[in-house]
Amino acid sequence: MKVEIRQVDSPDQERAEIHAVKITEDIQRAIDILDHNCCVLSVTDQGRTLLCSADKIYYFESIDKKTYVYTKDACYETGYRLYELETMLGSNFLRIAKAMILNIRKIRSVKGEMNGRMTAHLLNGEKVIIARSYVKDFKERLGI
Amino acid sequence: MRKKLQIIFSQTMMISTAILFGVGVQMLIYHLAYGTEDLHWPWYLPLTFVFSGFLCALPTMALLYDDEISAKQLGIREAIHFVLVGVLVSLCGYLFQWYETVAEYIPILIMYVVIYFFVWIATIWLMKRDEKMINAALEEIRDEE
Repeated sequence: MKVEIRQVDSPDQERAEIHAVKITEDIQRAIDILDHNCCVLSVTDQGRTLLCSADKIYYFESIDKKTYVYTKDACYETGYRLYELETMLGSNFLRIAKAMILNIRKIRSVKGEMNGRMTAHLLNGEKVIIARSYVKDFKERLGI
Repeated sequence: MRKKLQIIFSQTMMISTAILFGVGVQMLIYHLAYGTEDLHWPWYLPLTFVFSGFLCALPTMALLYDDEISAKQLGIREAIHFVLVGVLVSLCGYLFQWYETVAEYIPILIMYVVIYFFVWIATIWLMKRDEKMINAALEEIRDEE
C-alpha cells in the first residue's frame, strides 16, 4: 500500500485517511492504533470475545501453551502467542521472562535480588519477577 | 549454555583476582609488621588460584543463578553457598599446600570471610544503585491509575 504523509502545523489538523479495497487484518490494526492511540487486542472471557486496549494491559503470561492477558483486575485469554505479541505491541511491552511480557508503564517500583533478578511491583499491587537474563534488556529499554 | 559459560568464566576471573588481592593484602601486612621483602611461590601456585576460582564458580552457578526460586530459598542457598565455597577454598588450600599448619590456615579463612562479605557488599551496592536508576526512569513513564 502506498503511504503518503503530509506535515501539518497543529494536532487539530491531524487526520488519517485510508483508501482500501478491503479492510484487512493489518489495516484494522492500523485503524485501532490510530483510533485509540494504541493497539487493541481481541481477547476472550468465558467464551465471549472482547476488545482490550493495550494500554489497559498489565502483562501477558503463557501457561500450558495458552496466553493469558492480565489487566488491573481481570484476566482474559488471547489466541496470540507471546512472540507475536512482542512484535505487535509497542515499546512499552517487554519480555521479562520466558513466559511473560510486561507493560513497563504499569510498574510502580522494582527491587533487586542477590541472584541478579528483580521483583517488579505493579500498580495493581501484584508482583512479577524480571528474570536475570532479561534485566539487561529492561535497563536498555529504560535508557540505562 | 553460552550464558552459563560466560558466568562461570567471569566468576572464575573474579574469584582468582580476589585470591590474588587477598595474598597481596596478606603480604602487605607481613611487610609492615615483620619487614618481609620476598615471596616465593612454587611454579604451579598461580594456576591453582585460577583452578580454585573455577571450582568456587560452580556452586555460584548451581545455587544462586536460578530464576525459579523464592526469596526464602535464595537466603538458604546463600548460606549453603558461603559454607560450600569456604570448604572448597580450605580443600584447595590443603591440596595445593597454601597452608601447612593451623596458624597458616587461619589467615586464609579470615581472608575468605572478608573477601566473601566484601563481594556481597559490593553486589548489594551495585544492585541498590541499579534499583534507584530504574525507579527514577520508571517515574517518567508510569501510567496514572
